[in-house]
Amino acid sequence: MKSIRLENIKKSYNGDVILENLNLTIPAGQFFALLGPSGCGKTTVLRLIGGFEEVNEGDIFLGEENITHLPSNKRHINTVFQNYALFPHLNVFDNVAYSQKIKGLSREVIAQKVNKVLKTVHLEHHKNKFINQLSGGQKQRVALARAIINEPDVLLLDEPLTALDLKLREKVLIELIDLQSKLQTTFVYVTHDQFEALTVADQMAIMNQDGQIEQIGTPKEIYEFPVSIFVAKFVGTTNILKGIFHNGSTPQIELPGLGFFQLAVPENKELVEGKSIYISLRPEKIWISIPETPGFSNHLTGVVESIVYQGRSTQYNVRLKNDHLLSIFEQNEEHFPRQVIDYGSTVNVYWQKENAVLLEK
Amino acid sequence: MNNSSFFKAVPALLWQFLFFYIPLLFVVVLSFTDGTTSGFTLKNYALLFDSVYGSIVLRSLILAFLTATLCLLIGYPLAYFIALKKRSLKNVFLFFIILPFWTNLLVLTYAWFFILDRDGLLNSLLMNIGVINEPLALINNFFAIMIVMFYCYLPFMIMPLFSVLEKFDLNLIEASKDLGANQWQTLWNVIIPITMPGIKAGFLLVFVPAFGEFVIPLLVGGDKYMFVGTLISHYFLIGQNKFAGSAFTVLSSCVLFVVVFFVSIFVQKLFPSHREIRETEL
Repeated sequence: MKSIRLENIKKSYNGDVILENLNLTIPAGQFFALLGPSGCGKTTVLRLIGGFEEVNEGDIFLGEENITHLPSNKRHINTVFQNYALFPHLNVFDNVAYSQKIKGLSREVIAQKVNKVLKTVHLEHHKNKFINQLSGGQKQRVALARAIINEPDVLLLDEPLTALDLKLREKVLIELIDLQSKLQTTFVYVTHDQFEALTVADQMAIMNQDGQIEQIGTPKEIYEFPVSIFVAKFVGTTNILKGIFHNGSTPQIELPGLGFFQLAVPENKELVEGKSIYISLRPEKIWISIPETPGFSNHLTGVVESIVYQGRSTQYNVRLKNDHLLSIFEQNEEHFPRQVIDYGSTVNVYWQKENAVLLEK
Repeated sequence: MNNSSFFKAVPALLWQFLFFYIPLLFVVVLSFTDGTTSGFTLKNYALLFDSVYGSIVLRSLILAFLTATLCLLIGYPLAYFIALKKRSLKNVFLFFIILPFWTNLLVLTYAWFFILDRDGLLNSLLMNIGVINEPLALINNFFAIMIVMFYCYLPFMIMPLFSVLEKFDLNLIEASKDLGANQWQTLWNVIIPITMPGIKAGFLLVFVPAFGEFVIPLLVGGDKYMFVGTLISHYFLIGQNKFAGSAFTVLSSCVLFVVVFFVSIFVQKLFPSHREIRETEL
């Protein structure tokens, strides 16, 4: 296990700048997810690390070694490709054995290693099958086995679950987490799916449309304390409200047409009176109720405009006085809820000031 | 095979039967008769036990092998190059590859006279830039036959190669590199085995007709070399000896068949389609 460090990377294709001045450190031995919308350049980052593309400027380090100009076959990094890129002319055993055969190891050693890896990914009964005889999930495991048999310093995974159905995805995600903690290899997982990233990652980075890293942190930090509107909206769903900052006896935000609301300002933030700011309010952190409920720092009223029943939770869209639409999730905890909220109901909406995240951009 | 698909195949099968298998049977029957005595005779084959015939067959095999190999070595990189191009460019390149097909073979072959002749294009060019003082003998020899054979048969090699290379998944090259292989190891272990069906098809499409070729050796080879095709045409058209001609046809076809059979087995051994490393049973 080794860390990966990208320093001042610039990459362009035919004059189109994809990445510019990119700095990123991926810590050793961690499950690291790189999350971003499609087309943001996250796959390019992976291809640069893997050695399939050359940087225009900047350096790439594997541990302390500069690998910027090392060809991909010399890098101690392996990849699970998005479409798996398994060799169709070889069976499962030979696909996994490929790198060992290139190394020139003896047949006995190869057979021993391959059998061990196949057991790890639960494919020991399929080793004589050809690739076109396998299911999507099995192919995915062959690709994984083929990549980890070399015991790479870093394993790159390029949207590895795209081809799998939802149920299988969840299963494979758990298996990947287990595998990573067993191997202790640095995993770099690229995805556009925030659910996958939140599930697997020890650390994750959010990349925006311009190929810049917006935020790095644990999934919990990213979800609970996003640093920008982009991150707040991209990871999970949220309500973004725009207002003016007021620093009276307590910090407040003035939302146009709605009034003044209490605000929790982190200690390291310096804000000037009258500054235009935003708050991000996650739908599940808002309390919705027909009768008045005491004990909340902020209160609003609105009219229920639509209700989306989602099984474990229900989403209410509430029209506020200033015409803003607020999404609220409520857990369906009981078969027979204590109150019935219906279309057109006038409801009270509450939130604690600590649960709204202050954003400046 | 279900009935409806069999009926669709009937016209082609009938055609093949009437104009290929029955004539082939005639040739085989003719090779065992001599036109005077009734009944079967092995006389025609006895005549073929002469080293002259052996060397003619061998020479044709060598010519066919060299032509097919040259076409493969030059055609493979070219097909690879075209297959990687964008769609619109691909069609342009393929058009230029197929263009010679639209021209009569005789015209194509005669065009080479203007290039290879004693005072042809190539000799005058080389003399003008001072590489040579005397014109080279470029025509009426084995060299000329090879050049024109290569030229005429190249498209037969490129088309099947192109069709497999076009479908080749370039991600596999990256996967191979990722797993530690250099470009030669990737070529040998991934690209060639996967495109082997195209290589086999192209090789046979060139090798088999090149073995029986008689027009090109006749036109640009002078009268020094006798090949299988030239000899058969001699028997039938000039010597009017259809019995010996048939015997020689049957014999050379058998040789061709055996050679192709053993080459296929050799290729299968060299690039097994699966299980390169036989796993030690535990």
